[in-house]
Amino acid sequence: MSAHDTVLTAEAARVVYNEGTDAAVEAVRDITLELRRGEILALVGPSGCGKTTLFNAIAGLIPLQGGAVSVGGDRVEDAKGHVGYMLQKDLLLPWRSVIDNVTLGLEIRGIARTEARRRAQTLIDRYGLSGFENSKPAGLSGGMRQRAALMRTLAFEPEVILLDEPFSALDFQTRILLQSDVKRIIREEGRSVILITHDIGEAISMANRIVVLTNRPATVKSVYETPWGSEEIDPVAVRERPEYQELFSTIWQELELAPRQCEIGLT
Amino acid sequence: MAMATHSSAPARAPRRGPLGETTKIRLYQIAVLLVIIALWQVGLWIGWLKPYVYGTPLGVLQSFATQIADGSLLRHFWVTGQEVVIGFVLGCALGSGAGLLLWLSPLWAKILHPYMIALNGVPKIALAPLIIVWFGLGMESKIAIATIITFIVAFLQAYKGSQEIDPDLIRLMKSLGASPWQTFRTIVVPGSVPWIVSALRLNVGFALIGAVVGEYISAEEGLGYMVYYSGQLYDLNSVWVGIFSLMIMALLLEAIVARLERYLDMEH
Repeated sequence: MSAHDTVLTAEAARVVYNEGTDAAVEAVRDITLELRRGEILALVGPSGCGKTTLFNAIAGLIPLQGGAVSVGGDRVEDAKGHVGYMLQKDLLLPWRSVIDNVTLGLEIRGIARTEARRRAQTLIDRYGLSGFENSKPAGLSGGMRQRAALMRTLAFEPEVILLDEPFSALDFQTRILLQSDVKRIIREEGRSVILITHDIGEAISMANRIVVLTNRPATVKSVYETPWGSEEIDPVAVRERPEYQELFSTIWQELELAPRQCEIGLT
Repeated sequence: MAMATHSSAPARAPRRGPLGETTKIRLYQIAVLLVIIALWQVGLWIGWLKPYVYGTPLGVLQSFATQIADGSLLRHFWVTGQEVVIGFVLGCALGSGAGLLLWLSPLWAKILHPYMIALNGVPKIALAPLIIVWFGLGMESKIAIATIITFIVAFLQAYKGSQEIDPDLIRLMKSLGASPWQTFRTIVVPGSVPWIVSALRLNVGFALIGAVVGEYISAEEGLGYMVYYSGQLYDLNSVWVGIFSLMIMALLLEAIVARLERYLDMEH
């Protein structure tokens, strides 16, 4: 595998809501980025900068008004099922058991029920939800529910996984522990991930590279490589390292500047 | 006092004394009925209530006994019961199905929107005379009234339920590559169950209203006919027999719907 084996590319991606009307709002402007195989790429930006719009565009859920997003060489609109995602809301179906939630994507792809359940059970056993496979989501804690949502995403083996602030609804301790778990699981499964977050600490501790976005319309302001690259490092332990603090304050200053520029009319 | 223990089966509800809460509630429910009957009887004794205007508890009991003995009450109950149940099942099934299917066609949902608002606002029973004209004087017209009224309620509720599905769930299904039909089957139908169940509850009353009003307008048997006919003859004891029978029917149907609701809740 080459170091720059790319699984997803966005080239000059542009999203405008209500284009051609008086109410047109440009949410994303000319975003160009690439996701390398096996890496975690974090997108951070000020609140309301268009992160979720970019997320939806990358997932192929909304049309682009310019540019292109491709997954494995295909335009994302034509590559349905190649991108799996996980949101702040776990979106587990309350009427289904955990295992039947995990098999959802496999079911959609027409995988036989026995095979789908076998694959789901493997993930459940491997990642610590054994004994809860037949429970309904209402019987699980917030962290366990997000873990089940991640397994649903992993089960159908998408080329790219998009995580949109998946931990933000959790309490601090659960969030930190789950970040650690998710990073480990993603690495073990060899997945390529785009993580959208407003939490700089989360981005630094989980990602290989961090893309800082500007205020709306979102554009790429800067890209940082984390000093640990693909080194296996625990997202909790990493917070103790001086490079973490340094990178944190650099990105913090960049993000802090954006809304101020906006307030005083500089953007 | 020694506490009774039940080693063979666990208690179904927490007990706080010699009587379980459910038993206590049942006893109070019976007591309320007895108090109403007692007040009714006292009102008659002291002359505040006239027997020819309000009937008498004893007269109602006698009328009950006579009509059970000659089989007429059972016949009326059976006729109305069939009208209500058939109308309820047809209306709920077709209405829920149609309301849900509308999710698959946002264009048709938009086209039908003003009609849905109009149907929701109109007192549905106003359709009864028309339906009697279309379906004739027999049992079919009462079934049709109950069906049409319950159809409207089930249709509107199911449609509303389908529109309340979390849009993020729909997006999730899209990202998994699901077809609209797969999303419909997997998300929309089960996700609308609480709305459909609430329509079932509402429709127990509407099906009864439909059948009884149909019988008021034109019929030769059924509890609605019996109430209306006895009223015309000032046989108020029989009117009460009819009303109490309708209440029993409503309670039975409610109990069936509640059981179905519990089952769907378990599945849900």
